[in-house]
Amino acid sequence: MKHIINTLVLLTIIALTSCTPKISSNFTNPQPKLSINDEVAFLDIEHEIPENTVKIGDLRFQDSGFSTDCSFNSLLTQARNKARANGANIVKVVDKKEPGIWSTCYRLKIELYKYDGNVSSLPQYELKLG
Amino acid sequence: MKYILLSAILLFSSCATIISGSRQEVKITSEPSEAKVYINEIEVGNTPVEKNLKRNQEYSLILKLDGYETYTTKLERKFNAWYIGNIAFGGLIGILIDPITGAIHKLKPEKVNGNLKNGTTYTTKGEKLFIKISLNIDENSEKIGQLKKI
Repeated sequence: MKHIINTLVLLTIIALTSCTPKISSNFTNPQPKLSINDEVAFLDIEHEIPENTVKIGDLRFQDSGFSTDCSFNSLLTQARNKARANGANIVKVVDKKEPGIWSTCYRLKIELYKYDGNVSSLPQYELKLG
Repeated sequence: MKYILLSAILLFSSCATIISGSRQEVKITSEPSEAKVYINEIEVGNTPVEKNLKRNQEYSLILKLDGYETYTTKLERKFNAWYIGNIAFGGLIGILIDPITGAIHKLKPEKVNGNLKNGTTYTTKGEKLFIKISLNIDENSEKIGQLKKI
């Protein structure tokens, strides 16, 4: 009985602490932080990066094994927060693995860029509320 | 005794998912009303506004109204006490299912150092979350006129 209780407590701790995806980041050229009023564009695989951009860094979203908050829109929202914190206003998806047999999560490779032009004029992915 | 135990396990499997569901209704009102509401920077309407949000994620909440300061906060995920039903009754299925559906969480406005953001109040009725926000007048703006209904 004690063993069962210990297992249940362990499972609960795992369930409560491991629901976010694993994020790896590498910022090679961080810039001053952007405010909430600065727009950030989402460029999906098919959208091209405009000219005159500066690369700020890379992000990688992986399945931690217990991730539940890992829809495409949710990952992009998290990427936007990282982008603003490092001065980037373009979130470019360079590799996208959709949920399947091995994972219920989207897994993304993202590049972050700083663009001096108006990002709202770029062809981009429109974020949806899950 | 075994039957009672088995019934309890089946009954309380996925406790939070059954009781709360994977989404939570959130109603946002403001004083004054008609403020534009943005959830995760997506415009969702003017106050009062109601949305059915997934429980498994956090949201940014922004309210904008001309002549008033922009209001920002977060909706955070907190622990949903219904999940304890799984542990209390050993519902192994529920222990696994509730985190997957997100029912292990409930949404609440962000607290900093234990306090809600100034001008924010909230209540919950059943599973529904009601948030009321008092907007502050923007001191940099100046009223220059008023439209009249004809």
